[in-house]
Formats: sequence, structure tokens, C-alpha cells
Amino acid sequence: MAGLAFDGVTKSFGAVRALKGVSFPVAEGETHALVGENGAGKSTLMRVLAGIVRPDGGQLVWQGRKLDLHSPRAALDQGIGMVYQEMLLFPNLTVSGNIFAGREVTGAGGRLREPEMRERTARLLEELHLSVSADAEVASLSTAHQQLVQIARALAFECRILILDEPTTCLTEGETAHLFAILDRLQRRGVTLIYVSHKLDEVFRLCQRITVLRDGEHVGTFEASQTTPRDIVRSMVGRDIDPAARVPRTVPAEAPVVLSVEHLTRRPWFEDVSLSVRAGEIVGLFGLVGSGRSELLETLFGLYRAQSGAMSFAGLPVRFASPVQAIRTGLALVPEERHRQGLFFNLSVRHNLVLPAENASGPWRIDGRRERGDSQRLVEQWRIKTAGVEAPPDSLSGGNQQKVVMAKWLRAAPRLLLLDEPTKGVDVGAKWEIHDLIRRQADQGMGCLVVSSELPEILSLADRIVVLREGRVQGEIPGAGADEESVMRLATAVRH
Amino acid sequence: MNARLQSLWKTRELSTLFVLALEVAFFTWYLWPEGDRAHPFFNLGNGVLILKYSSLYGIAAIGAAMVIISGGVDLAPGAVMALAGVVTGHLFAIQGYPLSVGVAAGIFTGLLSGILSAMLVVLVNLPPFIATLGVMGIARGIAFIITEGRFFDLSSRLPAGWKPFGLPADWLAPIVLVVLAAVFQYLMQRFQWGRAIFAIGGNETAALFSGIRVGKVKASVYIVAAVLASLSGVILVVIQGQGRADLATGYELDIIASAVVGGASLTGGRGSVVGAVLGTLIFGVLRNALPQIPGATFYDRLIVGVVVVVIVVVDQFIARKGA
Repeated sequence: MAGLAFDGVTKSFGAVRALKGVSFPVAEGETHALVGENGAGKSTLMRVLAGIVRPDGGQLVWQGRKLDLHSPRAALDQGIGMVYQEMLLFPNLTVSGNIFAGREVTGAGGRLREPEMRERTARLLEELHLSVSADAEVASLSTAHQQLVQIARALAFECRILILDEPTTCLTEGETAHLFAILDRLQRRGVTLIYVSHKLDEVFRLCQRITVLRDGEHVGTFEASQTTPRDIVRSMVGRDIDPAARVPRTVPAEAPVVLSVEHLTRRPWFEDVSLSVRAGEIVGLFGLVGSGRSELLETLFGLYRAQSGAMSFAGLPVRFASPVQAIRTGLALVPEERHRQGLFFNLSVRHNLVLPAENASGPWRIDGRRERGDSQRLVEQWRIKTAGVEAPPDSLSGGNQQKVVMAKWLRAAPRLLLLDEPTKGVDVGAKWEIHDLIRRQADQGMGCLVVSSELPEILSLADRIVVLREGRVQGEIPGAGADEESVMRLATAVRH
Repeated sequence: MNARLQSLWKTRELSTLFVLALEVAFFTWYLWPEGDRAHPFFNLGNGVLILKYSSLYGIAAIGAAMVIISGGVDLAPGAVMALAGVVTGHLFAIQGYPLSVGVAAGIFTGLLSGILSAMLVVLVNLPPFIATLGVMGIARGIAFIITEGRFFDLSSRLPAGWKPFGLPADWLAPIVLVVLAAVFQYLMQRFQWGRAIFAIGGNETAALFSGIRVGKVKASVYIVAAVLASLSGVILVVIQGQGRADLATGYELDIIASAVVGGASLTGGRGSVVGAVLGTLIFGVLRNALPQIPGATFYDRLIVGVVVVVIVVVDQFIARKGA
């Protein structure tokens, strides 16, 4: 049989059964999407294919022959390349150094043949329409270019199967389009592509067939032309939900202003930003990557100082020199990257939940019993799926980790919650739950400022939308009347 | 194995204690004397001797463990011990000040060394390895400058049979150690400060975003570590009755090794004060017992090295199986 077949692949990590006998075929030369909630087993399955994880049982067959995948090297040698979600590059090496890392072209006695590697790199980059030099240091490249260097690395060595794990998480629309054009060309060359993503619009744009995994099991493989995103979501979560549905809310007109920002400037990130958030209001801050959104939130939170402009909280002028002051005043920030900025993987869920320093029992001593009670209550309130409060956070799925990062602030009862990409890398079911939790906080009078680069998220959540482009506010739209087009027009400055 | 026994085994301090007990049992068996001669290793006098010298390492290892848990490393404790001991000895034995003044001045130099390390790490943003390497050189250098390379002798100025706080001098270091270990273990487990140290070692960026005063906490850790080292140095010269600028040379690596053997992770975020103290005892027993084995004289450094590697490897193996 031509193509690739997964045949009864099983894998357990301790007591967790990540893959429970997954079988499905991938036709040679097709672009095949793999979707499912976080924890469904997509990444594990792809790691098996890339030789990183060795399955407990089952086999993989390529063109009728059983694949021997005992190491990443073995997978590469058989033409299986993977582009990882997290950047697995050497920032200190050049582009050509990265592409040939571990597989350098050498002459006598192991001497590196730099000119040849550089030349081959240049040819590859040209093929990908990448306007970077083979000698450029990878650390100096943009995220998108780094992503493409990873693809170049996979392609440098006769790659027949290319796995892409959430490749567009950090890319702008334009960069995504560029990537898709490259993937189209690869497909025409006969490369089999396996595309792992949460973004169903991309999946439908790119892929011929879609395989859905749920809880480590194969739910089904569908022809993209004969199904709809809604059907796919239903088979992913096992129930019918529409994450983009707008939940109507009203904010009383007399609700007091919690945060008001005037002419705030921190070059080169943002300039002359003015906005306000009222109690109980969800304000969406929309802008493309690089529009200065995260930097604005981090400045509001006291991580950086603004160069000019004023900020007032509950009517009083404030100026935060540190996050500690911001927290004391009543702000909380849920940062964009939960792994890097939000979680402590050496501490239990309980300790993560009670950490924000200002709200422990006393100023110094920790009250163990109260801590256990509070964290237990937060786990229940926020429906965090965990083996218990003493479990380490890396045993949780992405969506539940994100809930921990959000829930840890609520013991401090902030009056303004700053959320930076609150559902980044989170599956559909958890996304819907997180939106619901944000709305519930707002209903209790908390002001929320939500940054997102996902338009459907902003449209479904926000009572008012502030659009940012290149660090400047482009306009405000009431949430009820907004649609994709009106917001996007402001964000991209296209006038029709 | 039932759950309680399993969680007991996973309590890292207990497995270190188990290794220590195993070690003591081994040497007791190996050095068992012929006939009815006294046991050369397993006797009260030798036990006190081991405790007395291990405690000097142990007091400094408390600080080293906290620095390592915070994600840093401290190379200065040996030199800080020397400087503090030299300052105390110089003021008391040569300048003729009262002992209390000498001790206070010695600990004050520890405070200054700690502040210097803290400033280099927190304000100048140097990697802790470099910052404390510099402080190590500076402290050791000043110790040599003060003494001009000469011995000083405190014992002649101390009253015969001198008993600090009514205790035999040999018991001073162990008692100070036990009190400090208990206090800092409690601080690390039950106080915001300790939790913040674990958090910073686990994820410094997330700590900043969570409103932890990362700079202040890190600074406090280096300062506490240096003060503890200086206290150990002061006790060292007082109980030895003499000193020189090269005292406690190379202690820093033994102290770091003790903390690691006691469960501290050099990548930060894991470890314990009590574990580090037990680690110093493991090395103390080795240093005491190995020279008593005929023919082992030239092997003791090698054995110490092997023990560090074996304990850490076994520890990782157990951790991986538990996960």
C-alpha cells in the first residue's frame, strides 16, 4: 500500500494513556490535518512519527514497509522531518549552521566544508523565497523567518514526510500566507504533509483530509470538501458548541471607570495610547503581532515605565514602578506565554495557585491549611482538571494550565484583569470555558482588558473593541456592532 | 509498597539520611577493631569530632542550598569564611580588642561580601558564577593583605577551658548548626520568603510577572549565604584557636557538593536546607573515616568524587522512576 499508515499505535506515560491504539492512513502526497483538543494525543503521535517517542505497541508503515523509528536521527534518515511548535533552533549559530547542525558536510578528517554548506543553504533559501543570508545569525531573524528556517532544515535532506506542529502560532497573516504558498509548492513536489493545528480555518484552507483524535483515540478521518468546521469541532469535543457565538451582555452606563490611560507612550512599541475600562466591562484590544499590544499591557502592569502620558486607576492618578505596586493597587496580568511567564513547574498546582505574593495569610508566614482550602476551592470553581492540588502543573493540559495562571490572581480580588492572549494554544472546549470564566468575572464587576490576535475571540468576548496598529490606537468599535471586516479594516489600515 | 511508605521514600531528606546511616554502618563494620580494643571510628569522641568539623561546612551549606534553590551558585563561602575568621582573629589576637568586637567585625565583613555579591548579581546582572568568583578572589585577597601571610593565635588570649555560653567549645558549631538549620528549613517551607526563593529558581520570569520582588529576594539570599559563611569562619578560628589567610581553602566546592548530594538542583527550584546539612555530614564521615583505612591515604579525594557522582545519579534514577 502506498502512503503512510498508523497501525494500532499505543503509548502510555505512567498512568496516563496518551494513545490508545490509533490507526489511520495518510495518502502519499496529500496534505493531511491532525486536529483534536490539547491532550488528545496529536503531539505524542507526531513525536512517534519523528522518532522522539517510542510507542509501546503498534507500528508505522510507509509504502508497505515497516518504519524503524528508534531515534530522531533514524526518522530523518528515512525522510521524515518535523517542524516543532516551539522553536528548536540554535540562536547562536548562522542559518547554514542551523540547517546542517548534526549533519554537517565534512571533508577529510571531519573538517567542515563551509562553502558547500553555505551554497546549499543559499539555494534552499531561494527555493523558499526567503530573503535572508545563509550567514545571518538565527537570533537576529524574525519569528516567521525562524519558523521558515526550521522548514528549510527539514527540507535540506530529501524529506518525504513533513510534520508541522502548529506552525502559525507566532505568525502574522502575511507570513502565514507566505508559509502556505511554500507548503503548496512542497505538495506539488510530492511531499506528504501532516499539519497539526487548532486553527480550523487554516486546516480547511490547506488540507485535503482531516483526522480527528480525542482522548488518545481515532475519532474519524474526513474529506475536507465533505465536512464543515462545525462538524469537526463536534467530533473534537464530543458535543455541539460554537466557540464564536457572541454572548450578549450589557454594562450599566453608570459603571465607574476603573482604568483610564491618556497619551501613554513608550517608543518604539506604542505611542499616544488613550483608552479606558469600566467596572464590569470587557474591552478587547485587537492588533496584529507587532502592534504593541503585549508591551502596552506590560507597561500598564508596571513591568516597564512609560516615557510619557498618564494613567489613573479608579479615578486616582497612578504610576507603577513595579508589578508589586500594580498588584497592590488592584491589577492582575495573565501573561501571553504561560510556560515562560506564568507557571512554576517545580511547584505543585496548589503552590502555583496561591503564589501571587500579596495575598497570603499573613505578611510573612504561610498558613498551610488555608492555602490547601483556597487552592482546592479555586480548582473546583474554575473546573481545573487535575489529579489533585499537589500535582505538578506539567501533568495538566494546556487549557487547564491556562486556568491555573488565571485563577491564581483571583484570590487577590483584582479590580482590573489584564489578559494577554488568554486562549493561546488552548483547545476549543477549554477556550469556551475560559471565555465563560472571563465573562463571569466581569459580571461580578471586574474590568477586563483582553488582548487577542484572534478576531473571533475578540468579537465573541468584547463589549468594546480598541484596535491598535503599529503602536497607535486606530479606533474604537462597540462590540455589538462589530464584524470581522470593520475590525480588520482598522487593524490593517485598508480603506474601501 | 503502600502510599505512605512511598511518599516517605520520596521525602528527599530521608533518603539522604538513609545514605548517611548506611555510610556509618559500613565504616563501623569495616573498621571493627580486633580483640577488645576501642572502636577507632564508632565512639563518642570521634562522633563529636565529625560533628564539630562538619558543622562548619554545614552552617555555610545552609546558605549555599538557598542560593542554589534560587537558581544561582555561590563560589565565595570558603573565602568569606577565611576573611571573617582572619578579621576576628586579627582584631582579637593582634589588636587586642575584646572577642565580641572581633566576632561582630568578622560577621560584618560577611555582610559586606554578601552585599557585594548581591549587587553584582542583581544590579549589575552578572551571572552568579562570575560575580561570586570575583567576590571569592576579593575576600581571599583581603584576608592575605590583613595577615600579611602570618599565623595568628587566639588560644593564648582565651581563658583555659573557655566555655562560650557555658558550652564546651567543641559543641558550639553543632548547636549553632542545628538551630540555624531548623530556622532556615522552617523559613524555606512555611514563609513567603522561602516560597519566593523556590519560585524564582523555578521560573524567574513568571516570578516577576507574579509580583514577587525578584531582585530583593535574590539579593537577600546572597547576603544571608555570606553572613552564614562568615559566622562559620568566625566559629572556625575560635574553636581552632588559631588561623591563617588560607583557611577554608576549597571549601566552596565541598559545600556546593553537599547541597547537591542533599537534593539541591543546580538548575534551581529544588533542594532543601536540611538535605544540604545531611550532605555535609556524609562528606564529614568520609573525611574522618577514610584516613583510618590503611592504604587509603591517596584514595580519599577519588572516593569523595565517586560518591558525589553515584549519589546524584541514583537520585536522578529514583526521580525518573517516580515520575
